[in-house]
Amino acid sequence: MKLIYEKSVKGRKGYFLRGDSYKEISLKDCIPQHALTRTKKELPEVSEVDVVRHFTALSKLNYGLDDGFYPLGSCTMKYNPKLNESLALLDNFIYAHPCVDEDLVQGSLQIMYELSHYLSEITGMDQFTLSPSAGAHGELAGVLVMRKYFMDKGELRHKMLIPDSAHGTNPASAAMAGFNVVEVKSNERGGIDLAELHKLMDEDTAGLMLTNPNTVGLFDDNIEEIAKVVHSKDGLLYYDGANLNALLGIARPGDAGFDIAHLNLHKTFSTPHGGGGPGAGPVGVKKHLIQYLPTPIVSYNGEKYFFEDVGEKSIGRLRAFFGNFSVLLKAYVWILSMGDKGLKETAETSIINANYVMSKLKNFYKPVYDRFCMHECVLTGREYKEYGVKTLDIAKRLMDYGFHPPTIYFPHFEPYAEETIMIEPTESESKENIDLFIDAMIKISHEIKTDAELVRQAPHVTPVSRPDEARAVKNPTLIFKEINENR
Amino acid sequence: MKYIPNTDNEKKGMLKEIGVSSFNELIRDIPENIRLNRALSIPGPFDEEEIREQVHMIAGKNVDFFSFKPLIGAGAYRHSIPEVVKAIVSREEFYTSYTPYQPEISQGNLQSMFELQTHLARLTGMDVVVPSLYDGASAVAEAVLMAVRITHKNRTIVSSLVHPHYREVIATYTKPHNIEIVELPFDKGCTDFSNLKNLLNSDTAAVVVQSPNFFGGIENIAAIASEIHNSDALLIQSIAESISLGLLNAPADMGVDIVAGESQSFGMDLNFGGPYNGFLATKTRFLRQLPGRIAGETVDRDGKRAFVMTMRAREQDIKREKAISNICSNHALNIVAANVYLSLLGKNGLYEVALLNTKAAHYLKEKLAETNNFEIFEYPFFNEFIVKSKMDIDEVKDRLFKRSFVPPLCVNKFYKKCENYLLFNVTEIFKREELDEIVKILEVSR
Repeated sequence: MKLIYEKSVKGRKGYFLRGDSYKEISLKDCIPQHALTRTKKELPEVSEVDVVRHFTALSKLNYGLDDGFYPLGSCTMKYNPKLNESLALLDNFIYAHPCVDEDLVQGSLQIMYELSHYLSEITGMDQFTLSPSAGAHGELAGVLVMRKYFMDKGELRHKMLIPDSAHGTNPASAAMAGFNVVEVKSNERGGIDLAELHKLMDEDTAGLMLTNPNTVGLFDDNIEEIAKVVHSKDGLLYYDGANLNALLGIARPGDAGFDIAHLNLHKTFSTPHGGGGPGAGPVGVKKHLIQYLPTPIVSYNGEKYFFEDVGEKSIGRLRAFFGNFSVLLKAYVWILSMGDKGLKETAETSIINANYVMSKLKNFYKPVYDRFCMHECVLTGREYKEYGVKTLDIAKRLMDYGFHPPTIYFPHFEPYAEETIMIEPTESESKENIDLFIDAMIKISHEIKTDAELVRQAPHVTPVSRPDEARAVKNPTLIFKEINENR
Repeated sequence: MKYIPNTDNEKKGMLKEIGVSSFNELIRDIPENIRLNRALSIPGPFDEEEIREQVHMIAGKNVDFFSFKPLIGAGAYRHSIPEVVKAIVSREEFYTSYTPYQPEISQGNLQSMFELQTHLARLTGMDVVVPSLYDGASAVAEAVLMAVRITHKNRTIVSSLVHPHYREVIATYTKPHNIEIVELPFDKGCTDFSNLKNLLNSDTAAVVVQSPNFFGGIENIAAIASEIHNSDALLIQSIAESISLGLLNAPADMGVDIVAGESQSFGMDLNFGGPYNGFLATKTRFLRQLPGRIAGETVDRDGKRAFVMTMRAREQDIKREKAISNICSNHALNIVAANVYLSLLGKNGLYEVALLNTKAAHYLKEKLAETNNFEIFEYPFFNEFIVKSKMDIDEVKDRLFKRSFVPPLCVNKFYKKCENYLLFNVTEIFKREELDEIVKILEVSR
């Protein structure tokens, strides 16, 4: 499709601005010549209709959750309720400036205060910060809290334990907080290898970052023992909340020995992914760690909501202002829509849906671990390699059947998890839709045996076929350079 | 239950097909000891009307911010946002989609990233752009880490007129890496660079200057660039008010190496502080040290133009602990907002809006000076300026608030020594008559 620059026509305008009512003021008296641009910056010149048509056309090249099934494992692509969206657009919220006196924003503060309490109740933590902008940002906050905790005790701990099944953000966040990452292997049942954990957990280790249910969709049933091992060396147990959906109302990380937990409101709490953000990554901690949280937190004295500085032991500030407010508001509305009953039903339904998919597909795509799963199941496309078909090809072929592909090649750890297909149907999907997806997956497994080329060349009906990614790296074209001929 | 389609009967049928008689068999891995076994103490479920009423009621506890025009900026600016921006970002294809890892069904997001990269490259004069980080604060913190990686040095000089929150975030991000931060003082509304030469040494990775700075001041960046480069340090320009780019010199033309910006002014609501959108722009030679997602142009199997996320070997999902940054989700939807905004305003519109901001702010400053109730300071500024009030600050705030204006920022909230200083922000949303009204409100001494 043409770029907006290729639609530009000299002199065309997409805006109307009232005339200059300050004719007596001359620009050169305001700003020194050296600071002014000599020519106007070369942005496109297009009309409002041009812009609306352009972006509407662009939108149609995307596949959204409202278009159909989006079974991306570990991404929890659940329905984004319309009510959340419209309430997040109320004038009193969207025009609220972040630096005004607290008296003027009691409503915004109330939302934040109540949300942080609901999150504490749901997770069993004692205090939440709503400041982190995304999951990885929350991880960074969490591991910085760990770092500060040990410094405060006069200890310098250098290592962070992270399972081989963890999201890439875990080791990256630990490294950003200055830790050396030590990988813990998964065992043959898909959990943490306890013997290895015993060996690795020492007094130079800050703790363990754990996703539970983990990225193979399994709940680590040794969790109590794991917590014991980590705590026996005074370490801290960190909960990556990417997969909290499976536990809502059933179990709480705070009751399972976790000291710190980050949540992804854009996963479990129904706020939209927005093509990759903005989300929000609140972090909850147990009492003994509250003093290290990023500053500020929202408090209430019975009359007034206010920002409270966390104090001198805080890890400091993580971002400008206080958090992604509109995202927080959407999560708040979702929690009220669900209540206790709905939260529990969310977890149950997501678990049933995932097990249903696994039970129907396991004869066609071997599960990495053949056990009941939680909210997602992890299968492999390994056995189709002999037909010259990769898991990537299977994913691409699914697009021809009208589905967004599942997460592929993640998790990856040898020897258990290779060529993985990670399917998370969430609670939002009806049985009919899940059945259609299952049918497509089975059809593809037949196609591989009868017409492998059809699968290798997929997708066939998408706006573009497979892009040449190697070329994009070899000859990076990262901005549009040609000058428009119409100018 | 709302939002959950499957009926109890369907679920029963599914459990049967799975081969279990009850849901509990599926979760037997969760030890009994850690099960909740009680109801969560959460209100609800409420129906849609109940929630609508409750949330409207809570919203009513805020001031009617639409009618209260803000004279406060300080890193969050109320500009006029074209309706088109909201119409486009509320299309489900944009807001409900996932990160564009599958380019065949994500060309809308990818092309939009590429277009914003181009807009920002043209505004800054740079070659490569990361179109989305969380905000301007995390962008400048990432820029400092980037400079440390590039130069292998660990000292950074930061102007004290970089947004105070941004400086705090720089501190949070750099502390674990033992990066020394040295601050440059300010004089009136601009950074005092007189000591810069002495502070620059062979350990200096970068100098961070914000322009327009926290006091709205336009720094003479070109004048310090060669001094910084002579010491092999990098020059980072932080920008909180990106509308200024419509009127001011491209950072690259002034010798800046990395631009760390906040693009909230490009079509994003104030939203009590977020979500906004950070960006980084730099030279091609630093491409591999850039954190975050970048779109690139290529062709598909049929030779058709296509866009992909590229140079991915920098990212956390591939490099894990060796990644350039841990960033995964960014503020992608705001890429669309900024792209639509800049496309609509275009070459002439952004210039005109920036010009109107400049003139309106200078008009108010001149008029406030005439009241004799404020001490003013001479320094070049964009759409924000500081004054020292001779009146009681609470009196100023009170008078403005009573006439439905959100008062300017009390500078001593961030700079303890600046007692009675106010930071005024004027954007295109103010009409001349309103500025006259503000002056009238403030000119009478009690």
